[in-house]
Order: sequence, then structure tokens, then C-alpha cells
Amino acid sequence: MHIEDGILSPQAWGSWYVATTIFIVPGIREIKRRSEENLYYKPFLAMRGVGVFVISCMHIPVPVTGSCSHPCGTPLAAILIGPFATAVITAIGLFFQAVFLGHGGITTIGANDFSMGIAGGISGYLCWRSLRHFKSPIWLAAGMAGFVGDLITYLVSALELAISLHGHTPLLKQWMVFFMGYGPTQLPIAVAEAIFTAAILQAMASRRPDLLPNILGIKAKEETK
Amino acid sequence: MKFMNNVKNNNSSQIKFLDNFTKTLLAIMIIILIFIFGAGKYMDSHEIVAGGTDDKVNNLATVASSKQHHPFIELPGDAELGAFSVANFFAGLILGHSWEKIFGKTNAEIKGEESKKTTEEI
Repeated sequence: MHIEDGILSPQAWGSWYVATTIFIVPGIREIKRRSEENLYYKPFLAMRGVGVFVISCMHIPVPVTGSCSHPCGTPLAAILIGPFATAVITAIGLFFQAVFLGHGGITTIGANDFSMGIAGGISGYLCWRSLRHFKSPIWLAAGMAGFVGDLITYLVSALELAISLHGHTPLLKQWMVFFMGYGPTQLPIAVAEAIFTAAILQAMASRRPDLLPNILGIKAKEETK
Repeated sequence: MKFMNNVKNNNSSQIKFLDNFTKTLLAIMIIILIFIFGAGKYMDSHEIVAGGTDDKVNNLATVASSKQHHPFIELPGDAELGAFSVANFFAGLILGHSWEKIFGKTNAEIKGEESKKTTEEI
């Protein structure tokens, strides 16, 4: 989903920057609020930021398709640190990837953050919350969040390209053309992301439930006291 | 007993070469490096292009828009590996540091363990 510089028009990438900013502003507020509530929040934020940076630039080969792609790590981040804060750390991660690793571009940070940090994070988070609402086990809810968040990221990324470039071709057709570039390779990666998300959250919930105060329904202030 | 406590305290303030932070940091970095090396080796032996689906779709977009795509910086092959290693070094540093803050033992736990050991020795 690392759309590179030169493809999107200035109007398009400018619009995605504006759309992303709408989520980043409450994200900064969320970080400030939760840092005051929970002493563990800042180290978590740093860890998840690095996690998103490393995971989303690590290409995993998929033997079936003979290609490679990367997971996102944003659904797990959204569950652990919050969906809006995920938009902030993803933007920072994407910036460093563009500057140091040559992954993606600077003009496309808005579009890339919207697909990975916002759409992927929020969809994974909503999936987690809705499944947990119906008393689903942690591993199942987390796994589904990882799977859905990963696929939504690539669906939105393909949609971003299709909206800008479909021309006279029907939008849906162009969208599916771009998504089919990602889809076959991304499906096994999404399964891997589901397993990874489920394993991490299940391990944390069973070993250190005190680190997940709001997630497991324990008041943060009581825990930190 | 007082003497032994003092000795214990002096020992605990010494700088260890491989403390918990360094061990965690190194373990995380080694795991990441092994993973990168394994994936790279597999892709090399199976002739899988490292750009992956991102490059594939960027190329599709170039066809659709007739505009050339380019990354913010173009790194040659070896420099990319170096940049990735440096980036992961810092990633390991931050991860290891935060890991110790979250999962490391608190001062109270360390003191408790020390006093327990001292009483056992006595």
C-alpha cells in the first residue's frame, strides 16, 4: 500500500492529507489524555510505533503467488493504543520509511496513512469491539481484527488509486483492477496478521492483563494506583 | 548481617555487561535480523522481486495515469540493506527500552528479591 510520489495529482494527495489530518488531531488529544490516565501508555505507544514501522516495511514472500507483501500491524496498534493514536504513529512511521528506506513517498503520506493507519486501524478496532461485545474469545476477536484490518487497508489503498485514475473506466472496475494487484498475495499475509494479532493479544491478556486496563474492562486509574 | 547487606548493595549497583535491557534489545534485534535474512534468502532463491505487490500496483497506476512513479529517495541495493539494518538497530533500541519499562521488574520487586536472597544466605 506504499503509493509512491508522482502518481497522484496535487489535488488528490492534498485531499488525502486533509482527510488524514481530521483523524490525526483527535489522535494527538487521545495520546495526551491516555498518557495521563495510564503510566504504561507511553512505552506502549513507542513500542507500537516501532512495531508498525518494522512490520509494514518487512516484505514476506508468498510462495503460492511468487510475490511478496507486508502486513500492517495497525489493527493490533488500534486495539492497544487506540484508533486515533494509531493514525499518528502510522504517519510518523510512513515518514521515516519514505525518508530512510525509500518506501512510499512524501506527497502520498496522507493517502498511505489514510489506508493503513486510519481505515486499517479503525476497521480492525471496530471488528475487535463488536466481537468482544458479543463475548467472543480474545484470540478470535483479535484474529478477526487483524484479518479485516489488513484487507481493508489494501481495499482502501486500491480505492484511493482508482478514484484518482479511473478516467473513463468505471470506478468499480478500476478499483478491482488495482485490488487484484494486491489481493492474491495479501490474503495469506492477512491470515498471518490475524495469527500474529491473536497471539500477541492472547499472550498479553493471560500474562499481564493489568497492562490492558481499558481493553479488558479494568479502570486504568485503579490499576496504575 | 549489616556488613553483608552493604556488600550486597554494592554488588547490585555495579554495571553489568549484559543486563536485562541489553539482552532484550539484542534478542529482539536478532529475531528481526534472522527473519529479514530468511525472507531475503528465500526471495533470492525463488527469484521473487523484492518490490512485491507495492511495486506491481504502482506500475499498474503508472499505466493508468501515464505518470512515472518514484520513491522519495532511490537507494541502490546495498544501501537499502544498510539503511534497513540501521533502522532496525534504532527500532530494537526503542523496543528494548520500552519493553524493560513495561515488563521489567520494578524497584520494589528487585529490592524484595535482594532481601530474600540475603536472608536465605544468612
